[in-house]
Amino acid sequence: MPTTEHLSKQYDSDLDALRSRVLQMGGLVEAQILAAIEGFSTGNPELFERVIETELRVNGYEVSIDTDCSHIIVRRQPAATDLRLIMAVSKTVTDLERMGDEAEKIARMSKQIHERDRLKVQRFGQIRHAGNIAVQMLRQALDAFARLDAEQAAQVVREDMTIDDEFRSIVRQLVTFMMEDPRTISSALEVLWIAKAIERIGDHAKNVAENVIYIVKGTDVRHTRFEDLEREAKS
Amino acid sequence: MGSVPAPDSRPRHARGEQGWKQPCDNAGLVFPAHTLNSVLVQTLTTAAWLAVPALIGRLAFGADAGWALFAGGLLIVSGYHARNLRRLLDWLGNPDPGDVPEASGAWDDAFALLHRRERRLAQERQRLARLVVRYSQAGRALPDGVVILDGDDRIVWCNGKAEARFGIDGKTDVGQPITNLVRQPEFVKYLAAGDYTGPAQLKTARGAALSLSVQIIPYDDAQKLLLARDITQAERLDTMRRDFVANVSHELRTPLTVLTGFLETVRELKLDPDRARNYMGMMAGQASRMQRIIDDLLTLSALESAPQPPWDRQVPMRAVLDSLCADAEALSGGRHRISLDAQGDWDLLGAESEIASALRNLITNAIRYSPAGGEVRLIWRASADGASFAVEDSGVGIEPEHIPRLTERFYRVDSGRSRETGGTGLGLAIVKHALLRHQASLQIESEPGKGSRFTVRFPARRVAAGHQSSGVTV
Repeated sequence: MPTTEHLSKQYDSDLDALRSRVLQMGGLVEAQILAAIEGFSTGNPELFERVIETELRVNGYEVSIDTDCSHIIVRRQPAATDLRLIMAVSKTVTDLERMGDEAEKIARMSKQIHERDRLKVQRFGQIRHAGNIAVQMLRQALDAFARLDAEQAAQVVREDMTIDDEFRSIVRQLVTFMMEDPRTISSALEVLWIAKAIERIGDHAKNVAENVIYIVKGTDVRHTRFEDLEREAKS
Repeated sequence: MGSVPAPDSRPRHARGEQGWKQPCDNAGLVFPAHTLNSVLVQTLTTAAWLAVPALIGRLAFGADAGWALFAGGLLIVSGYHARNLRRLLDWLGNPDPGDVPEASGAWDDAFALLHRRERRLAQERQRLARLVVRYSQAGRALPDGVVILDGDDRIVWCNGKAEARFGIDGKTDVGQPITNLVRQPEFVKYLAAGDYTGPAQLKTARGAALSLSVQIIPYDDAQKLLLARDITQAERLDTMRRDFVANVSHELRTPLTVLTGFLETVRELKLDPDRARNYMGMMAGQASRMQRIIDDLLTLSALESAPQPPWDRQVPMRAVLDSLCADAEALSGGRHRISLDAQGDWDLLGAESEIASALRNLITNAIRYSPAGGEVRLIWRASADGASFAVEDSGVGIEPEHIPRLTERFYRVDSGRSRETGGTGLGLAIVKHALLRHQASLQIESEPGKGSRFTVRFPARRVAAGHQSSGVTV
């Protein structure tokens, strides 16, 4: 859905294709994170394999989308919205790739935990809860990107605060576990890494959402207070 | 007079008016012969009428005056025609069906025809609009999600089910490539592969987690129909059936293995009587566990095949509740605080043994999963609108992901624990069946670490006024 028509139809379809590819990459990362979190809960080794396999495809997407971006810049000399779109795409792709890395991290840690299988961390439901929030943030951020919807993007930024709270509460619980029984320390630390990875996924989703606001409104809302950002998104 | 609209100028107007084809469009375009004749007659009449004053003028004032009068008359007549032509053109520029211009003479016929044609078009338009509405209503009512995609896989139309299942908006998302919003890699791959002979399966987690079976049907030129069927329930039934067979075998094999192990030991080794008695005791324990499992399985299948529980047999709830409470005290052995809070002097209608055993089962679970010193509350509420029985405990609680599966056969939240407390894994399945037969529902709420509440609700038609007079039993 181009906001303005260009004289060259090809240019429009190039931009459309670029957006679609970013969203497909996002879908891949979404599935990857879901698989990683489910793997943490169930310990299914197939899921870990899938996460690690997907990582390669995500990396491939990152490189090829970045190449597409520079091609469009060279050939079309985009301006205004188009330029913002391309710059935002380039940043979003990096964020998505990092999320993929975090998912892989979760999968590797979970695999270790399950292979050792000494501690009842499988039942640590709060991780899955936080993970679901993170995936939902990513989903919303991508939806906002597809629809160029700044208000929905602002909501994602708000959600990031929830996930930060979740992270803090997980840390508190883990500390309690470790104090109760020092034998759980190594596993608890691994769970902590997983929680941190989820929190990072939330941060990256927030970045994607901020990029959407940048495309639509043309203002850089990174590192601003949430109230300012929300006002900007609604303006 | 050249200002009369020529017959061949009409189809152009008709063509410009509407984009779609109409079977009866041409009906209004044929110029009836009498109209043509009347145009001719009127033109001649006008000429004759002009000739009369011209002749009189010529006789009175000479030839020049006669011609001047004739020319003046012609001017007036052509002015009249020019004005009507102007009105026609104005109207054609902005056709309003309710405001076709009116005039007299030859123009009246032309405008009347136009008016009739407009009316017919308006009716046709309404009919088509109704048709479109009816079709889209039918599309909306389909149980499957339906999305129409164009040649570039962009969303053209979708129904409400598709909106809910894919998280798309049928109004604002029109024109979006479908893969921008339905991003599951499985789906993207299926759509791109172009082989639509079979459906693809994908999971969506928007709102509720669903399993969807999606099928693409290409039609017309490059258009595609995307159907999404919800197979969550079917998939669950499938795993349940698979799990059931695996579970029955597993549940029966475990005690059997123990049993054969001991049997071999007893047969091969010479044991002192004490040891032997000990082993025998354990074997008996395993045998009785198998017995319990088989009993429960038989109970379940009996419940499944038995006729409807009676509608005319009153279950004396007061007595039942008192006996349930006594059973609970006995099972707990004083380790829990057990309270009964009953209000409403109403009885249930149905099979007493089934109802009592279902409720007893819930209480047993509550006691079993509450640590010593915990609390178990039995709450009975009954009125003419229905009755409810709730068991609240302060036990270990249940993680939310287990709750929907609790009533499945052999489903265990924590397998080791359930077996060590003597469960067969069939208790809640039996409860659910017994309750379903009484049109009752079972609601489970739980918070891990805090406790659980199991609530049974009986509908009004399973409730009857009690025999006893006292209203409250505590």
